[in-house]
Amino acid sequence: MKRTTLIFAAIFIAAIAMGQNEKYYQKMGEALGKFADCTSVEDYQNLANQFGVIAKVETEEWLPLYYEAHCYILMGFTGQLEPAIQDSYLDKASASIDKMLEIAPEEAEVYVMKAFYHTGYLVVNPPARAMSTSPLIHAAIGKALALEPTNPRAIFLRISNEMGTAAFFGDDTTPFCKEARELLNTWDNFELKSPIHPSWGKEETEGIVRGCGE
Amino acid sequence: MKHPLLYTLLLLISGNLLAQTSITGTIRDAKGETLTGANIYLEGTYDGTSSNLEGIFLLESSESGEQKLCIEFIGFKKFSKEIKLEGSGIDLDIIEMQEEFNELTAVSITAGTFEAGDKKKSIALSSIDMVTTDGSSGDVYGALQALPGTTTVGESGKLFVKGGDSRESKTYIDGTLVYVPYSSSSPNTSVRGRFSPFMFSGMMFSTGAYSAEYGQALSSVLSLKTNAMPVQDQLNISLLSVGAELGGTKTWDNASITAAIGYNNLTPYMKIVPQYTQWEHEPQSLSGDMSFRLKTGKSGMLKFYGSINRSSLTTIEESLNRPGSAFNYQLVNDNQFINASWAGEIRENLILTSAFSFTNNQDKISIDSMKLNESLRGTHAKVSIKHRISDRLKLLAGTEWYARTYRQEFPQIELPEYNSYTNHTLTGFLEAELYASSSFITRVGTRLEYSDYLKRASLAPRFSMAYKLGNKSQLSLAYGWFFQDPDNEFLLQSSSLDYERADHYTFNYMMTGNKRMLRTEIHFKQYKNLVKYGVSEDQSYSFINNQGSGYAYGLDFFWRDRKSIKNGEYWISYSYIESMRDYLDYPYEAVHNYTSKHNLTLVYKHWFDRLRSQLGINYSVASPRYYNNPNTSIFNGEKSLAYQSLNVNWSYLLKQHVIFYASVSNLLGSEQQFGYKYANVPDEEGIYQSAPILPGAKRWFLIGCFITLSKNKEINQLDKIN
Repeated sequence: MKRTTLIFAAIFIAAIAMGQNEKYYQKMGEALGKFADCTSVEDYQNLANQFGVIAKVETEEWLPLYYEAHCYILMGFTGQLEPAIQDSYLDKASASIDKMLEIAPEEAEVYVMKAFYHTGYLVVNPPARAMSTSPLIHAAIGKALALEPTNPRAIFLRISNEMGTAAFFGDDTTPFCKEARELLNTWDNFELKSPIHPSWGKEETEGIVRGCGE
Repeated sequence: MKHPLLYTLLLLISGNLLAQTSITGTIRDAKGETLTGANIYLEGTYDGTSSNLEGIFLLESSESGEQKLCIEFIGFKKFSKEIKLEGSGIDLDIIEMQEEFNELTAVSITAGTFEAGDKKKSIALSSIDMVTTDGSSGDVYGALQALPGTTTVGESGKLFVKGGDSRESKTYIDGTLVYVPYSSSSPNTSVRGRFSPFMFSGMMFSTGAYSAEYGQALSSVLSLKTNAMPVQDQLNISLLSVGAELGGTKTWDNASITAAIGYNNLTPYMKIVPQYTQWEHEPQSLSGDMSFRLKTGKSGMLKFYGSINRSSLTTIEESLNRPGSAFNYQLVNDNQFINASWAGEIRENLILTSAFSFTNNQDKISIDSMKLNESLRGTHAKVSIKHRISDRLKLLAGTEWYARTYRQEFPQIELPEYNSYTNHTLTGFLEAELYASSSFITRVGTRLEYSDYLKRASLAPRFSMAYKLGNKSQLSLAYGWFFQDPDNEFLLQSSSLDYERADHYTFNYMMTGNKRMLRTEIHFKQYKNLVKYGVSEDQSYSFINNQGSGYAYGLDFFWRDRKSIKNGEYWISYSYIESMRDYLDYPYEAVHNYTSKHNLTLVYKHWFDRLRSQLGINYSVASPRYYNNPNTSIFNGEKSLAYQSLNVNWSYLLKQHVIFYASVSNLLGSEQQFGYKYANVPDEEGIYQSAPILPGAKRWFLIGCFITLSKNKEINQLDKIN
């Protein structure tokens, strides 16, 4: 009896292993494991390549594109690069985001990454790009929040943006500290749809709270 | 899966895991440089890897049989190769990747051209600079005068490029001609551009040897691209010391409408700040404009812009012909402008652009009881296609139709009641752009024009090329013939005139990198067939012909540095121009009165974080210009004062959505004088009476407040003025 159960279980597991799904999760898991270790443009490029390969196989999945875009955006800001090089990385990110928007137009995380991309684009040359780009950042965050009002990354981006502006104008930032603390307290309530869904932002929010002096 | 049975089962089921093939190789570019970080993968599989610092890769795959190996890397064409996996190792040795033609990194033709946008790497100016550069507070043409190749002509305000007259420069918006780009004003007072720089997200300012796409301009072309679709609803309020503007934007998913209404009245300002010009009625204007955007399909965009403007002014002018007396000069201008365009990809690599513009402009001038109405009605329609045949070859072809009716009317004179002419011009242009490599580009084009009024055709060849010397520097040269119809007042008199012509030779060296830019240019321009005329005793033309000629040559220098000073940037623009002409009523070849030999502009901008303010300083100096004194025997032999002006502006961000702005031009109050004007006829003693031509006032002040209301308070108009 015990033996039969074992065999059934084994076949079941093997069947899943054979299916793309399991392999997809495995490959994504492998790649995501490397994210924290990336320190150089080369590291991010290799990782972007890895996500890129997965994205080419899994044409219906937006997550590989999401992380590929994330890598390229981060590449632009790793080390001192010429604006033209930064732009070439951002162009790659933009292409992935466009594909994502077709696959998952109702996914809040996609717009979070879009806002992140526009921020990266603006930072390359703020005096020249602020006018055309800042409305796009706000529009993307707004869209993300409209689709998923509880999305912690969208809330984080909104708080950090608004707080930056308030600090710039010498306004009181304590309401944002309060919001950031609330966000942190409820962060883990946000249920990830899968272990490979975006989960970043908690540390950054902790950073805000630390900056508030508590 | 520690259980041995499970492991065995798994292996049995996915047995192919056993046959591993390793594929290795080294990736290089055409120059033999190794490429790090290239993405190597087997198409349709999860198997992929990246090349290391030596360009070497090792790809392990458990796939078998025929597979397609692909290699991708930014800036290079995708490489693919069919390989057969049989479990043994495959060594692909050296793989040479072919560079992809990316317009952002490839060489570009920069001879004679300044481009602005937020992305182009060859830009000398960003779009914002158009707004923030001059003390003229947001005049497109004022900002362009801080670039080399231009001469500041204070009593005009228009563009004078490389020894050319202002009528030799043309302005295009979204591909179509703007017949009347400047506001109207009384003689010898400075005009401004009709369009707010905030409307535009990109520009191409060519000071010579431009593409075959543009014609009817002997000296320069300014091509402006209007903004893309706005992304959010907002309301803008601008309060200025001279007027106010209210504008609003409404957006939908695929469309948007923006509308604005503005009113300016300089009366209060001119009552407070002393003016040289004597005003009976200070300038006033009322304007309204509307624009509309509609996305069509995946890549298409329909743009529409329309504006209506009415302005009026009356000055009191001292009469030079009758000393001691004065007359009123009254001007009422009505201008309507429509611009519509559609551009989109109709097939892969084939972009169709169609555009249309209509201008109706009327100046009603009264000099005491004498009246003159001048009207211009112009239409321009254009269709062009851009075909990207390959990465290396692009074709541009198009056709245009221009119609222009110019009419002069003297309402108080019975006969002739009016004078007018209508001209239709049909054109065709064809241009090919060929990249021999990413560091060598050649552009060859030709333009054919036929005018039904002149009953003449012109064929203008254009040629330019550019060669990249290294990562950061390039050489570029351009040559071409340029034709333009004679000025309206001559066409009214005669239809048997020929086109005026200029041949351009431009040689340019440019170096960019590290947020700095150096651009130098040598140019030569030969004028032919310029209109020449004589005036008989009764002030009518004794002859008009095309026997005029002229030349201009010079050197441009431009240096911009956004790196050396934290929160600050500066640029230096210098141009040297030698130019002579024998045209109009000149008795012989002489230096004309709108060119300064030396022009220098220094621009500095600094952002003060703690003050949330930007300071802009603009200092320009120009050597004396020549003017004609009829009391001497030498034509255009007198020199005006050298020109200098220090302009300063300050913008302060009070709140996210509220900005204060202040500017003053000619802060130091340097004496400015643009030569002299003379009486038409000598007095009893045989002397032509004269008066100096002065700017409207010693200094010009502007104070303003810009408020933006939207759901998101962070959007502001800072970019508008800082």
